[in-house]
Amino acid sequence: MSGRICAVLAAVLVLCALALVNSQYQHRQLFIELERAQSQARQLDIDWAQLQLDQSTLGKHGRIETIARRDLHMVPVTPERTQYLTMGAK
Amino acid sequence: MGATPRTAAAKGVPFVSSPVLAAKLPAWRSRLVLFLIFVAFVTLAGRALWLQGMSTDFLQKQGAARYARTLELPAIRGKITDRNGQVLASSLPVKAVWAIPDDVQEAPKEKLAELAKLLNMSRAELNKKLDSDRNFVYLKRQVEMDTVDKILKLKIPGIETRKEYKRFYPEGEVMAHVVGFTNIEDAGQEGMELSAQKTLAGVTGSRRVIKDRLGHIVEDIEAVREPHDGKDLTLSIDSKIQYIAYTQLKAAVEKNKAKAGGIIVVDARTGEVLALANLPSYNPNDRSDLTGVQLRNRVLTDTFEPGSTLKPFTVALALDTKRVTPSTVFQTSPGQMTIGTATIHDSHAHGPLTVAQIIEKSSNIGTAKIALEMPAEEMWEMFTSVGFGQPPKFGFPGAVAGRVRPYKSWRPIEQATMSYGHGISVSLIQLAHAYTIFARNGDLIPLSFQKVTDLPIGQRVISQKTAQQMRAMLESVVSPEGTAPQAQVPGYRVGGKTGTAYKIVGGKYVKKYVASFIGIAPMSDPRLIVAVMLDEPNAGQHYGGVVAGPVFANVVASALRSMDVAPDSSVTNIIIPKDAVEESM
Repeated sequence: MSGRICAVLAAVLVLCALALVNSQYQHRQLFIELERAQSQARQLDIDWAQLQLDQSTLGKHGRIETIARRDLHMVPVTPERTQYLTMGAK
Repeated sequence: MGATPRTAAAKGVPFVSSPVLAAKLPAWRSRLVLFLIFVAFVTLAGRALWLQGMSTDFLQKQGAARYARTLELPAIRGKITDRNGQVLASSLPVKAVWAIPDDVQEAPKEKLAELAKLLNMSRAELNKKLDSDRNFVYLKRQVEMDTVDKILKLKIPGIETRKEYKRFYPEGEVMAHVVGFTNIEDAGQEGMELSAQKTLAGVTGSRRVIKDRLGHIVEDIEAVREPHDGKDLTLSIDSKIQYIAYTQLKAAVEKNKAKAGGIIVVDARTGEVLALANLPSYNPNDRSDLTGVQLRNRVLTDTFEPGSTLKPFTVALALDTKRVTPSTVFQTSPGQMTIGTATIHDSHAHGPLTVAQIIEKSSNIGTAKIALEMPAEEMWEMFTSVGFGQPPKFGFPGAVAGRVRPYKSWRPIEQATMSYGHGISVSLIQLAHAYTIFARNGDLIPLSFQKVTDLPIGQRVISQKTAQQMRAMLESVVSPEGTAPQAQVPGYRVGGKTGTAYKIVGGKYVKKYVASFIGIAPMSDPRLIVAVMLDEPNAGQHYGGVVAGPVFANVVASALRSMDVAPDSSVTNIIIPKDAVEESM
């Protein structure tokens, strides 16, 4: 009788041990995946900052003005050449 | 088997009668063996005790050193943006390239030449850096990522990199004095970078991990101390208006051959500083040849005798205390007036002038006569309550208080000259701030360099009626009869006051000028206060109306349009008389 209990317990113990090994393994796999995702998030953050900076650099008012004046031959508006509309006026 | 169990099977001799046992050996031999075995066990036990009990800490530390690593998690410094979210300052990762000199020396010559080229330095410079006894030498800091990748591809032994951040300022010199800059360690040095250092700088985090043989992180040992990135900062600055202000000021400084200049644009409703520019300026991205002159934020840190721009405060006080009305007449003939031993002058003899005309023509004698009807204490209180001589609270480093002497020491001549802005010193930002009482209906609101969400509550200085009367007078200054017809703006009603003052060098007035103009626009519902100052204009003209007035006009015209403010005047053609009234100094 006691021999049989021992055998069952031994089997359970082995199973538990194997499960532990397996879960530890999975834990590490998932952890590596998490690491990878986090570093990707950081990289995307940096890319975003870089793009924002590029946008600011390219959208600089000085640059826009030079291009508008020199390449597109635009001139600033003046009130004489502006038609003002009033809402509801006849 | 059976009856005789202890019998050696092969020979059939019982164990007890074995001949081997018959041999008598000396007893000490077995005792010796027993003793040696005992000693061996004691040694083992002692060693085990030593390892387990006495040197556990040391051994565990050594073990941890072989698999555990502490990683630093850097925090990124917050961005600075303008009121519309345009980035004004942002940090990007770069790398510092460092070397272990002894290892690098062994690298082939052509590789070192290439390294020097990538680092943008000569071979001699590189060799000088490598010629060191130390184990750690920075070759170059803040190297951009593309270059770093190329350097690492050379695979020179002993060349290592370390992650750091570099701050970029896309707007460059236009925004330099407002935003400021950081040093190589990412700490704010000037401007908002300095004053908001605490919120911009993040908190570095750390984590302790186990790494495997290949350097992969296997797991965290302790709880991770998360890094906290710095908070982003939204300024009150409108980069469009800032650009307009900077370019107009630059044009005026060049045209008038001025030594320096400053301009500030304030939102009259919220107290937000929409633009602040100084000349000469500098490029915060490349500060290799930066001088103190360029660094100076004149709008906040330079005080000057404001001259006539102070007259409206004297007149406002007289109106507010009902001592005069805008139509009260003062005799300003013959253009000079002696108080005690000193004599003050007007540029022309204007004859009898009403209070409104005194402002329009900027008469010193008229203002002095009004001032002498009032006690010194009241004038001092007026100046103090609008912020002159008071420690500024603009949330900006380096702002100065200026100087207003205590009223008890004022002599009548001093009270007279102070009424038109001499013998008193203020900064341009203080003047712009003080003019909020005219732009609003008599109350003073605090200025802010950060975006304001709730409208500030003002502190009443003069009555609403006085403020309205003053606005009418300020508007007359830019009329063809006033001192600053050049400050007129097509399509908008504007007003302001000119100022021209001698500079004091070494305690004496010298023949150098500070020309200024402070104005409000549009007059029907004031939105902007613009203060312009030019230091030592040298191209023949030095009057505030002529030198600073046009800057005001150009900035207001463009700024109001960019803010979508509807024109409140149908006048689109401006008449500037050939011989405008010269203001008194």
